[in-house]
Amino acid sequence: MDGDEFEPILGSLQKKKPWEVDFKVYDPHDLLVKQEAIVDRLQSPLALSRETTTLLLRCCFWKEESLLESFLLDRDGTLAKVGLPEHPPRPKFEAGDESFMCEICYCDGADETYLALWCGHRFCRDCYRAYVSGKVHEGESWRIRCPAVKCRTLLGLEPARFILADDKAMLNRYEENLTRSFVNDLPTFSWCPAPNCEYAIECQVPRSTWETTIPTVHCRCGKAFCFSCKHDDHIPAPCSLVSMWMQKCKDDSETSNWIKANTKECVKCKSTIEKNGGCNHMVCRECHHEFCWVCMGPWAEHGQSYYNCNRFDEDSSKNARDSVSKSRAMLERYLHYFTRYNNHEQSAKLARRLLAATEKNMDQIQRDHTLSWIEVQFLSEAVDVLSLCRSTLKWSYVLGYYMKSGNQKTIFENNQSDLEMATELLNELVENPITEDGPSIEEFKRMVIDKSTYVKTRWETILADITAGLQENRWQFESE
Amino acid sequence: MADVPKRILKEIERLNRDPVPGIEVNTIEDNIRYFNVIMCGPSKSPYEGGRFKLELFLPEEYPMSPPKVRFLTKMYHPNIDKLGRICLDILKDKWSPALQIRTVLLSIQALLSAPNPDDPLANDVADQWKTDEKLAIQTATEWTQKYAIEVWAKNPEVKP
Repeated sequence: MDGDEFEPILGSLQKKKPWEVDFKVYDPHDLLVKQEAIVDRLQSPLALSRETTTLLLRCCFWKEESLLESFLLDRDGTLAKVGLPEHPPRPKFEAGDESFMCEICYCDGADETYLALWCGHRFCRDCYRAYVSGKVHEGESWRIRCPAVKCRTLLGLEPARFILADDKAMLNRYEENLTRSFVNDLPTFSWCPAPNCEYAIECQVPRSTWETTIPTVHCRCGKAFCFSCKHDDHIPAPCSLVSMWMQKCKDDSETSNWIKANTKECVKCKSTIEKNGGCNHMVCRECHHEFCWVCMGPWAEHGQSYYNCNRFDEDSSKNARDSVSKSRAMLERYLHYFTRYNNHEQSAKLARRLLAATEKNMDQIQRDHTLSWIEVQFLSEAVDVLSLCRSTLKWSYVLGYYMKSGNQKTIFENNQSDLEMATELLNELVENPITEDGPSIEEFKRMVIDKSTYVKTRWETILADITAGLQENRWQFESE
Repeated sequence: MADVPKRILKEIERLNRDPVPGIEVNTIEDNIRYFNVIMCGPSKSPYEGGRFKLELFLPEEYPMSPPKVRFLTKMYHPNIDKLGRICLDILKDKWSPALQIRTVLLSIQALLSAPNPDDPLANDVADQWKTDEKLAIQTATEWTQKYAIEVWAKNPEVKP
């Protein structure tokens, strides 16, 4: 594939949708090619050895233009700043002499073989191997320096490969670390977060627009994730809302809201008390303080009115009641959104199971109705659409939770409910097996395709609207 | 002691032959990788006159990994926490296998002369150092008196 071409997502020839972003998936080999290509581009303008060019690029995190600029302005300074010679000598092991002593193992004399970088610090071969292997084991690569105290000289790639030449496994690991560092050092690259996936993704969408254009990328392994926060695909909710929501769910902060709504604290010892019956004359189990449940005042002031607190209308008790009902309303609001969010998450899981069942179903239909494999694809395509919509619906509830009320929100909620209804209908249709007395296979196929197309249209409508709204700053969000 | 690297034996030999001024390094019988250290507080510092106990251990990977060093005497110092752990770059990422027990101990001694409250390990001490350096130095002097001078006067023959 050409270096500057991006793979289109979601089908091949469609025009890019407003919520889609350009990205490119790299396998480990592509990554090597990419690194070499950048080095190639810079080597001749810099007129340096390949080794030095590579190290310079790595030192400045592959910022080609700024490297070129600073190099042209101050050639020696740029080299000195990263501690590199123009043409590093070829690494070689040399025989020791009378004056040689390895500062690491204290071996000395002419029997030893040593290596020295251009800084002149000499260490014996075994120590160099142990040192570099240890660093590679820790995940280091090009940042490995001469082992001497406070020496800034970079070991370099060629010497490292030379030292590890007899240890193939370690050498491979070194090369892996180099690639790992390449992806980690470039802000436009990211590893796919799926376990054991070795693909990396390049996405050029500028960081400043990540909140309005959610950079959802699709790895070749099937994982869809947000390039910004690395969370699983969370379109259409922006990262900031997702992180607030996840924190909220994790904190279980609603438990404390429930406590707030259903219990009161003993005025004296602050024990949490839930009243589950009886009269208003409370005696705290902990400190035996006696108070009125309704007005929270000391019981002694109440006289004998056990079931009627005549102090109910006083301002202080009014305020207390207001705060209790407000906190209860907030809890109900959260639960409203959470139930729906959770429902779509569960349904998405079921949809994955449905996919397995659908594959069986497709087999069955193929055999029963002598249809070709391609002709029964409509079922799995419908399930794909379902999964997509479930995910979007799920995150749309997070968006809704934080969205301020108003006309804009009403429009959003209408779109949401349209998509939700259509999705449920499609789900029902796909789930039901074909029966003798049901519609014919041709009719069933037509219904599924019609429904899928409709759902897809609704999906595109809501995503287009939300994306436009984010970009136009039309949505107002509130944090708690 | 079966597999003691030549390097460790040589370092011990050199430390015995040519001791570091102001620092005593004592080996113990049953573990050649463990050392009891007594460090004199550097002059013109709040630690002057104190004799501070440290333990030093050379891990299996030494010298590819740094030694583990910890103060046993209570210290009032922004880069030393209450467990005696020391925040010093050469004991962590700036470690070089060409460093030795000798150079490590000298660096720790230098840290006593030049506390670095901007890279603290003990946050409360570092804050004190930054807000009221005079008071911090006074506290350090008091601690030195109490834990690193008087202790020795009471039990002169106790070896750490």
